Amino acid sequence: MIEVEHLTKRFGATVAVDDLSFSVSPGNVTGFLGPNGAGKSTTLRALLGLVVPDTGSTRVLGRSYVELVRPLERVGAILETAEAHPGRSGRNHLRVLAVGAGIPHTRVDEVLELVDLRDVSRRRVKTYSLGMRQRLALAAALLGDPEVLVLDEPANGLDPQGIRWLRDFLRKLAADGRTVLVSSHVLAEVAQTVDHVVIIHKGRLVRQATMAEVQAMAAGSTVARSPQAGRLGELLEAAGIAVRSMGDGALSIGAPTARVGEIAAANGVVLHELTTPRATLEEVFLELTGGEEP
Amino acid sequence: MRALLHAEVLKLRTTRGPYVYLFLLVALSALLAAANATAAHLLDLADPAFQRDLVSDSVAAPLIALVLGIVSVTAEWRHGTITRTLLLSPRRWRVLAAKEINAFALGVFLALVGLAVAIAVAAPILSRDGTPLQVDGPFAVRMLEIVLASALWGALGAGLGALVQHQAGALVGAILWILLVESLLAALFDALHVDRIDDFLPRHAFNALAGHQAGLSPGASGAVAAGYVAFFAAIAFLRIRRQDIT
Repeated sequence: MIEVEHLTKRFGATVAVDDLSFSVSPGNVTGFLGPNGAGKSTTLRALLGLVVPDTGSTRVLGRSYVELVRPLERVGAILETAEAHPGRSGRNHLRVLAVGAGIPHTRVDEVLELVDLRDVSRRRVKTYSLGMRQRLALAAALLGDPEVLVLDEPANGLDPQGIRWLRDFLRKLAADGRTVLVSSHVLAEVAQTVDHVVIIHKGRLVRQATMAEVQAMAAGSTVARSPQAGRLGELLEAAGIAVRSMGDGALSIGAPTARVGEIAAANGVVLHELTTPRATLEEVFLELTGGEEP
Repeated sequence: MRALLHAEVLKLRTTRGPYVYLFLLVALSALLAAANATAAHLLDLADPAFQRDLVSDSVAAPLIALVLGIVSVTAEWRHGTITRTLLLSPRRWRVLAAKEINAFALGVFLALVGLAVAIAVAAPILSRDGTPLQVDGPFAVRMLEIVLASALWGALGAGLGALVQHQAGALVGAILWILLVESLLAALFDALHVDRIDDFLPRHAFNALAGHQAGLSPGASGAVAAGYVAFFAAIAFLRIRRQDIT
């Protein structure tokens, strides 16, 4: 269980996170989305005790991270790929963490096997590719077999096979009853992995919803093109339906195609196009965050 | 805390940097011992006090302990590993304490290696000249003082590293202080006819403890040096206690 309550964090005059509240429940993979600079990393770092909030609080498993006993066995995290000393081997990087956390050395071999790094584990980290470093970071996160995983861009640098493996792996972890929070800018990847999303923008919560709800939001929209776009817009608004002009006789309409078609037919309005845009999380995201790419 | 200390030792053992410094220590200590023993006047060599100076002046451990103390901490910020270190141990005072203890122990180890090398090089030269090295009570005390000085230099380096965090900045700052700033301050105090204040400056106190220069008594200089270690550790803790690791 992850809880963020009224979290606010400023860096000088910049408000990175502004009264943000949300929670993440066990047994799910939750996507944490927002445009660049939305405050995702600051929030995750506050959650892990690395950034001190100005106001508000964060809790993992009912406590602040700083209060956790043997934290690596409760929470696993990936925050950045440059987390290992470049002159140390991957195996020794994990050995240092295992020794510091009181985790048996045998677990180091297990996680190296799990992320498919065993063959290169004695090479120094500076010789690793970005994908290998990311898998090493994942190995470090999994070292303590934690109940909660907080992963910032975990698919970064992974090849398609690795991304697919990660997706399946995260789903399996969630199915085991663990709490998984994943931030990502690869929306298509998140859409295939997560059960819930938390969307933030300019440090504030925009939406917390299930994926099914988000996809329903996208599915509810229609694009109509008509030589009588103005007339059609008036009729739809009179019916209490939200309408936005897209120019060139096109309208974005907040109602299913069947309803729009019925209103047009009943009023003799000619339609040149009546379509449902492909329902994607990305479209909803752009709508919610004012069109900024994550 | 024991697990954290083991992790700190393993960090040092699993990168090449500390081995380079160890090689430098051995090479410098051997070179200094050989040069000091062969350049000395034969009459001086027979003097036990001169022999103690010869050995202790040949041990390059204090400077290397300071540098390694700084590097062992600033490397965490330089390579971004501080994030993983604080995830492992979110109570920051424990991380700082482990690093201080580790740097102190490293200083002890470096001094013992330096002493072993200096004695191994100087003793045969002294014996050849018919003035064998006299290992007695005062000799042992002097060697203990240099071990303590080296350990405190290491711990001072760790505190300074945690305070400054920028590796090059901390190293350049420490070396400039030792080579330039403190000498300028001492000259200023002299010009102002303020006596004995310079004995309380860091380099003077540490050197007096190691017997490298006159000044405070070993006990007083040890207390002043320990005070500097505690001061830097305290202000480093105040800095990192609520520092945002971004």
